[in-house]
Amino acid sequence: MPRKDLLDIASLAREEIEHLLDQAIPFKDLFTRSVKKVPALKGKSVLMLFYEASTRTHSSFEVAAKRLSADVTNFAVAHSSITKGESVRETIETLQAMRSDFIIVRHSRAGLPGTIARLTRASVINAGDGAHAHPTQALLDAFTIKEKFPDPSGKRVLIVGDILHSRVARSTSTILKKIGVAVAYLGPGSLVPTTGPENIRRFTNYQEAMAWAPDFVYLLRVQMERQDVQYFPSLREYHRLYGITEARLAEIRARGLYIMHPGPVNRGVELCDAVMDYERSLINDQVENGIAVRMAVLYWLKPQPVAG
Amino acid sequence: MTLLIQNARIASEHAPDLTRGDVLVAAGLIKTIGVGLTAPPGARVIDARGRILMPGMFDAHVHFREPGFETKESIASGSEAAINGGITGVVMMPNTSPAIDSATAVASVLESARRHARIPVLTSGCVTKGRQGKELAALDGMRALGVRMLTDDGDTTADPALLWRAMQYAGEFGMFFASHCELAELAGPRALNEGVTSYRLGIKGSPACAEEIIIDRDIRLAHATGAHIHIQHVSSKLGMETIRWWKSRGDVRVTAEVAPHHLLFTEEDIGDFDTHYKMNPPLRTKADTAALLQGLIDGVFDLIATDHAPHTPFEKSQDFITAPNGVTGLDTALVSLYHHFVAPGVFGWDLLVKRYSAEPRRLMGLPVAVIAEGQPADMLLFDPDAETTFTAQFMQSKSQNTPFLNQTLRGSVDLVLLGAAVLLDR
Repeated sequence: MPRKDLLDIASLAREEIEHLLDQAIPFKDLFTRSVKKVPALKGKSVLMLFYEASTRTHSSFEVAAKRLSADVTNFAVAHSSITKGESVRETIETLQAMRSDFIIVRHSRAGLPGTIARLTRASVINAGDGAHAHPTQALLDAFTIKEKFPDPSGKRVLIVGDILHSRVARSTSTILKKIGVAVAYLGPGSLVPTTGPENIRRFTNYQEAMAWAPDFVYLLRVQMERQDVQYFPSLREYHRLYGITEARLAEIRARGLYIMHPGPVNRGVELCDAVMDYERSLINDQVENGIAVRMAVLYWLKPQPVAG
Repeated sequence: MTLLIQNARIASEHAPDLTRGDVLVAAGLIKTIGVGLTAPPGARVIDARGRILMPGMFDAHVHFREPGFETKESIASGSEAAINGGITGVVMMPNTSPAIDSATAVASVLESARRHARIPVLTSGCVTKGRQGKELAALDGMRALGVRMLTDDGDTTADPALLWRAMQYAGEFGMFFASHCELAELAGPRALNEGVTSYRLGIKGSPACAEEIIIDRDIRLAHATGAHIHIQHVSSKLGMETIRWWKSRGDVRVTAEVAPHHLLFTEEDIGDFDTHYKMNPPLRTKADTAALLQGLIDGVFDLIATDHAPHTPFEKSQDFITAPNGVTGLDTALVSLYHHFVAPGVFGWDLLVKRYSAEPRRLMGLPVAVIAEGQPADMLLFDPDAETTFTAQFMQSKSQNTPFLNQTLRGSVDLVLLGAAVLLDR
């Protein structure tokens, strides 16, 4: 059964997740053809409503929609002053009149895409809301892991960094657990909440986390813009304690672990330059797979029909 | 008007058992209580068989939003919501616009209450001008108009030295302090417990210790200055235990209140960003609700108060972060407390009467409402076998921001009498 909206991973059933991941495979196969476009959403309109700066996610959705032959409109909100709740609501009423079929929304306020979804007939896709959820990132991560291990159950993923502020950590850990992958968090005690799910191991020491024997090391972006409130003494100290240094990369290579990162990376903070050339880095695969799973999501969701 | 209520079961704060009897009310006074009373000529006779007659409730913590936010509530609509819920007296909080921080502001709201409210509506006054935490409000001017409770409710008076001086100064006038406890640097900015739900929703939480630190700080200040401190809407187990410990010492004048929503709901009820469970202090855990209930039963909490906080449907329909804090409570409190606690036998009618009728009046220095011969009529008739459905139409508050909206609960407030007036007759 198609849904109207994709707001988070928690509300998806495992069958829905598997369906979306399966659907993404033929879409990805298109990318190596000379014509990458299919007419699946011809005549449908997609509105991009990004209240937060984004390069990867924004262009990934745009490419996905265009490869499905949808019309894409960018609603330029990032530079405008409309950030208040009232304005968001009025914006949605305006957008409703434009009769978009899909609204792809990113906002710094957790829960806002759900509020928009209740106000519109359009299918709403959450492209990231505060530290709450980023469901298409989770889908592309699961897809990337399944490319390496078609049956990923029992595999282990260590997510490293600022868990507290990360919607990626929340959504990706949720999807991984749903497909049978074990998850652990590693980071400074001030950034790895003790109130997370009980079935996620929590580490604050790098060696102890590696002893857990992960198959994937998933690095989160350190939020450089959050340095006004100190969660750790310095970026240098962070790199020393939790960054993938050259020595740690050697160990990771020796163990044959995969490295993932949602981008954009901070070189010299969560990883050293050499990681970008590591043969088992999946960072570019994640970008490519993002387009495929977003095509699958757009193809799956069904806007609420207009009455009468 | 003469009224004979026959076959009632009468509740009091002193005994869990209800006494059967007929109550004759004439000229606003309880004339006779007995068995088999004969109706005087012209008297209205109500057969109250199966129903409970109890003193009118009193809510010492309500927001009527007047002046400044009359789209949410007014003294007229708020006091009708109180009557609808069997409450015959309230104390308003001063976080209006402008704030109630001067004799002029007090006189203005009391005049509005005199004109628009059918029940006694008292007001608290600010500790500091404009609730800004900088300068003392016009304390004696407010006292002269009957204000006894001083609070910057909605916010903590952040500066302990200022609160210390206010306690030394106004304590001498017989005024007392009511504290909304929240250490700003550690709390918020959102009304959400730091815990499993704040993690799940990805919203920074407010830890219970942010509340507990100020509970302890303000009781210590009262202990040091000799003032009377009243702790508002306690939401955590350690907050309750802190008050219990201070009370056990017996050397500080401390009272405390608990709100129905903190007894009934937890952070997990927020579910998928449901703003009807967003209030400050926030809902916490099952361990906290259980401890608060025990605190109420043990008498750590002197009173129940709703913190009735109306907001418009538009405001509450915004996303969780933007939506304002607060739930309404006056229309629903008595029935919800009956449904969840008295009906299943968790606590008795006597506790309800003591904590939601007698003690709040004692706190305010008012005569306690009692069903006894010679007393003024201040009572309500409650049907434990009927049901109430809290539809938007049922609610008399201008706002319906309550988890109970459209719920059906056991119990119904059928009749409210105050003096010679029948305030509610359903």
